[in-house]
Amino acid sequence: MHSGTEANTVAGQQHRTPGPDRKTRSRRARGVVGFGHWWWALPGVLVVLAIHYVATGVGGFFAFTNWTGIGSFQLVGLANFQKILGDPSKILALGNTLFLAFGSVVIVNIVGLAIALALNRTLKSRYILRVLFFMPVVLSPLAVSYIWKFIFDFNGPINAILKSVGLESWQKSWLGDPTFAIWAVLIVIVWQQTGFAMVIYLAGLAGVPTEVEEAAAIDGTTLWQRFWHVTLPAIRPAVAISTTLGIVNGLRVFDQIMALTNGGPAGATETLATQVYKQAFSLANFGYGAALALILSAIILVFAVIQQRVTRGTES
Amino acid sequence: MTQHRRSHAQRIGLFAAPLAVGALVLSGCSSTSGTSTDGSQSFSLSYAVSTGVESPFETLAKAYMAATPGVTITLNAVPNDSFSQTTSTQFQAGNGSDVIESQPGSGAGQRIITLAKAGFLEPLDDGATALIPSGNESLFQIDGKTYGQALSISFVGNILNQTAATAAGITSFPTDFTGVLADCKTVAASGGKSMFVLAGAAGPNTGATASSIAATRVYAEDPTWNQERTDKKTTFAGTQGWKDTLQAIIDMKDAGCFQSGAEGAGFDAITNGITTGTTLTMFGPSGAAADLAKAGAGNTYTVEAFPPATSSDKAFGLASANYSLSLNAASKNKDAAKKFLDWMAEPAQSKTFADAQGSLPVTGLADLDLSGTNYAPVSEIVKSGSYVAFPNTGWPNSAVYDALGTGVQGLLTGQTTVDSVLASMDAAWDQ
Repeated sequence: MHSGTEANTVAGQQHRTPGPDRKTRSRRARGVVGFGHWWWALPGVLVVLAIHYVATGVGGFFAFTNWTGIGSFQLVGLANFQKILGDPSKILALGNTLFLAFGSVVIVNIVGLAIALALNRTLKSRYILRVLFFMPVVLSPLAVSYIWKFIFDFNGPINAILKSVGLESWQKSWLGDPTFAIWAVLIVIVWQQTGFAMVIYLAGLAGVPTEVEEAAAIDGTTLWQRFWHVTLPAIRPAVAISTTLGIVNGLRVFDQIMALTNGGPAGATETLATQVYKQAFSLANFGYGAALALILSAIILVFAVIQQRVTRGTES
Repeated sequence: MTQHRRSHAQRIGLFAAPLAVGALVLSGCSSTSGTSTDGSQSFSLSYAVSTGVESPFETLAKAYMAATPGVTITLNAVPNDSFSQTTSTQFQAGNGSDVIESQPGSGAGQRIITLAKAGFLEPLDDGATALIPSGNESLFQIDGKTYGQALSISFVGNILNQTAATAAGITSFPTDFTGVLADCKTVAASGGKSMFVLAGAAGPNTGATASSIAATRVYAEDPTWNQERTDKKTTFAGTQGWKDTLQAIIDMKDAGCFQSGAEGAGFDAITNGITTGTTLTMFGPSGAAADLAKAGAGNTYTVEAFPPATSSDKAFGLASANYSLSLNAASKNKDAAKKFLDWMAEPAQSKTFADAQGSLPVTGLADLDLSGTNYAPVSEIVKSGSYVAFPNTGWPNSAVYDALGTGVQGLLTGQTTVDSVLASMDAAWDQ
């Protein structure tokens, strides 16, 4: 109790002591700003406002119009949103968006964490393997997708292997198959993103003290218990970062779909992002595309906020 | 204080400098047509490019500059896949080129009617009106005013690799649908080959396939079908010809007419298949025959019309001016640009353009001798005028053709039915 009181007193003193200094600093800072330093930031602020907020705001405004991308337009209220909600193909696109986002987050993080654990300490070739696993991340998503498109092609290596082992009946147009096409997209995303999750987890694992793990091992815990009760709690911030980035990137996946399937077959792999592009720029429904973009932005915002809350809870 | 005043002035200068530089950069980016003064002999020309080969527009622009000293044409070559978007954005921003490559009809951003209705195109004179192919007036004109100058005629149907067809036992292109299905089986039996190649994942190709078949099923009987649909006197779903068209595609799939994996194939499947002879026939514009002849040495390619349902039905095709030039209403160099358009309208330039495109000249089709050319199989159709413009040039928006292209892929995979595809086309039309 005594020591606690002392600590409070010391803390109070520490709290009070810097008061005048902070006031001085604050006054000085105000003075500096008052003498015009904020002017220096103004061009940058204006550019940020113009590019990020005004442009986005104008784009959002068009969601309530029937603009085709050319000529004049009329305000149509919520008609675009009603049309979206009444269109089964857009609901399918929303479902695909969520499937790819959450499917990729789950698989990428599980596999990425597993690889990070495997390559964390003991393996001699771990540095080479880390480079190999990270390599796909630095490649262009379009380039990666075109390589995979060749792999999935009817005349590509998968079907060639199937034929060589006598499984000709299993051959199919993988990207033209309504059931498999979305899984093909998921495979490509996972293949490219796993290395990124691995790096985040490796950074997290570097901060886990070996002494704690050794102490747990001496206490007779199993490998799984050590992972679940020691390692995983210690790398929760890494989990939060990796899943947040994964969800945001997964929700706006675009390049891979355009290169692999172009949203096909017959819309089976359309997502909100591909629909935004097609409606706004290919089909001259700019207002409708803007409404879709607004919905996509709202969804990303909601999941980002949820993820922030989860992160805050973890830190506390 | 002196120091303070100096620093204050410097601050204002430093603040203003980036804005001034930015304004200059932006104005530099946005001025293509506005840099020349009135009366200048120079102007700018925008056109789409898709290959490394010199565009016919570039060829003719260079020829014009050589023929008329003092004229400078600023060439703006825009990638084909973004041309529509780029064109409409530039016009919207008020910085479109003086002359642009346009396409007849309505729908996408570079279509004549779409741009003219938005007020971006200058009406052209009688010379341009005289070049409009018969029956194509609605694709070039609004209220009697012409907004595009036709450059050449393209026939849309089938391109046959005659060399490969002969090797596969097909000596002549079928004349009815029964013959098509029979030939499909013959070719498939020859091992690893198919009578037709289809890029199922490419909407423009699946759309062209359905349109080519619809020429005989829909438009041969009723050439004014588009107008009737506009007048709401008919629908896709209520037209037996459209049902027959899509059913024909299903029948062809079931008969093994298309290559394996057609439903997921892209344009590369067409190029690879038809030049190597593993597939014999493609659907598309006649200009592709010239391109294929350059790519596949030793092969002979002919332009064919997809056969009617029975041999007693009328042979019919799709032919229209796919390319045209239009004048920017906001151009400051209209006189110079109009002189160029007049020069382009001359028969010599028309022939040069058509030869480079592998298409037909825009005038004198009835008197044209097509024997011995790759157009010989469709010579009678062209000469007798048994054709209409490519259907989607008369459709109100791009979504209708997109619904057709996507729907055909769905028919190949079993995701859609004939009725659902036609219903989605009607919905797209009425949106």
